[in-house]
Amino acid sequence: MIFGLEFPPIENLVEWPNLFGPTDSWYGFNKIALINLVALVATTVLFLLAGRRKTLEPVTNAPKGSRNLVESAVGFIRDGIIVETIGVDGLRYLPFLASLFFFILITNIFEVIPFFHMPGNARMAGPAVLALLTWVYFIAVGIKHQGLKYFWNSVAPPGVPKALLPLVVPIELLSTFIVRPFSLAVRLFANMLAGHILLVTFTVLCITLWGASLLLAVLPFSFLMLVGLTGFEIMVAFLQAYIFTILASVYIGSSMHAEH
Amino acid sequence: MLASILVLASDAATTATELLDQAAGEAEAVKNPILPTVNEMFWAAIFFIALWALMKFVLLPRITKVMDGRTDKVRDDLAAAEAAETERVAKLEQYEAGLAGARAEAVAILEASRAEGDAERRTQIAAAEADVAAARAEAAAEIAGAKDRARSELTGSITDIAVGAAEAVIQKPLDRAAQGRIVEDYVNASGQN
Repeated sequence: MIFGLEFPPIENLVEWPNLFGPTDSWYGFNKIALINLVALVATTVLFLLAGRRKTLEPVTNAPKGSRNLVESAVGFIRDGIIVETIGVDGLRYLPFLASLFFFILITNIFEVIPFFHMPGNARMAGPAVLALLTWVYFIAVGIKHQGLKYFWNSVAPPGVPKALLPLVVPIELLSTFIVRPFSLAVRLFANMLAGHILLVTFTVLCITLWGASLLLAVLPFSFLMLVGLTGFEIMVAFLQAYIFTILASVYIGSSMHAEH
Repeated sequence: MLASILVLASDAATTATELLDQAAGEAEAVKNPILPTVNEMFWAAIFFIALWALMKFVLLPRITKVMDGRTDKVRDDLAAAEAAETERVAKLEQYEAGLAGARAEAVAILEASRAEGDAERRTQIAAAEADVAAARAEAAAEIAGAKDRARSELTGSITDIAVGAAEAVIQKPLDRAAQGRIVEDYVNASGQN
């Protein structure tokens, strides 16, 4: 209890019991796994609706409804992220980056969806998996484009004087292969967890004020703050998906050419 | 001595193992809520990789095909519009060139017509002036003839009257021919004044 508020323990905010599977098993399916599954299903359904034959033909028609939504999002990822950070050569990585964007966006948006009220990425597992996959992916792209010289080019960029290499190589090694995946995961996780805790805090405050007598007058302000923060979290959900995707795109682009 | 040391070491090892097991049990009981759990990582990996595969082979191709088709259509339409614009400009230039030629031709025709008209006018004026001059000459000749006839008749009459009067005064005949010449000279002199 803090200042009269019954604030739940942090475990109660982020840990969920398994819906099936034994506790602590490697395949235990809990609320976070359900949110990830819904992200997969929702994205698939949205794209299938947008890709129905009757909505696709003729191509000259202006897109409407789900097709408009999906085309706008794909156009945003293609032209606003990939072409801007990699160039047209990077369009082949659209499936991976679009998957990242939609998966993160939808798992994040569960923060404000009734009965869920939990962003999937407020648990470290999701961001860690996505960051690890991105890490493996941009290393694979580097090896594909530059061969094994990619590793040396990454830690010793061309043009660096040899005298500086003892300083630059450890920094680049740490920056490229350790800090990148770690920062990707922690940024997404920390932002979503902070937003989740903020919303829980104001919700608990509203509930507590509802039962208060004198302090009931404060309730409208607290409630308005809760509503405002809910809107803010929707923006954060989109923003974090965008940031994760654009950074992944930058890392992939930097792996394609030694001069990056 | 050695046996007692070994017994002590064995006891110490047993105690250490028990302490380690106890510590591990306590650590397991107090899980860090921030650390990732294996089951959530497993499902996140499964679902994301499934989405990635679907996106690559099923979902995106349909959408990008339509988007590319529309982009191609827009590009083709723009190219067609640019070609039509080029053609329009060429036709406009051709039309303006034709119009300028027609204008020049019209001006030339106008100038030729005007010159022809001027020439015709001058010819007709000259002909009219010639006719007028001829008529004037003819009238002058007629006037001169009439004047000569009148003078001749007047001279005859004056001669007759003057000779008759003189013969009546002097009571003798005069030379009519000589008197006639005198009168004629006088009339001629008078006509010149």
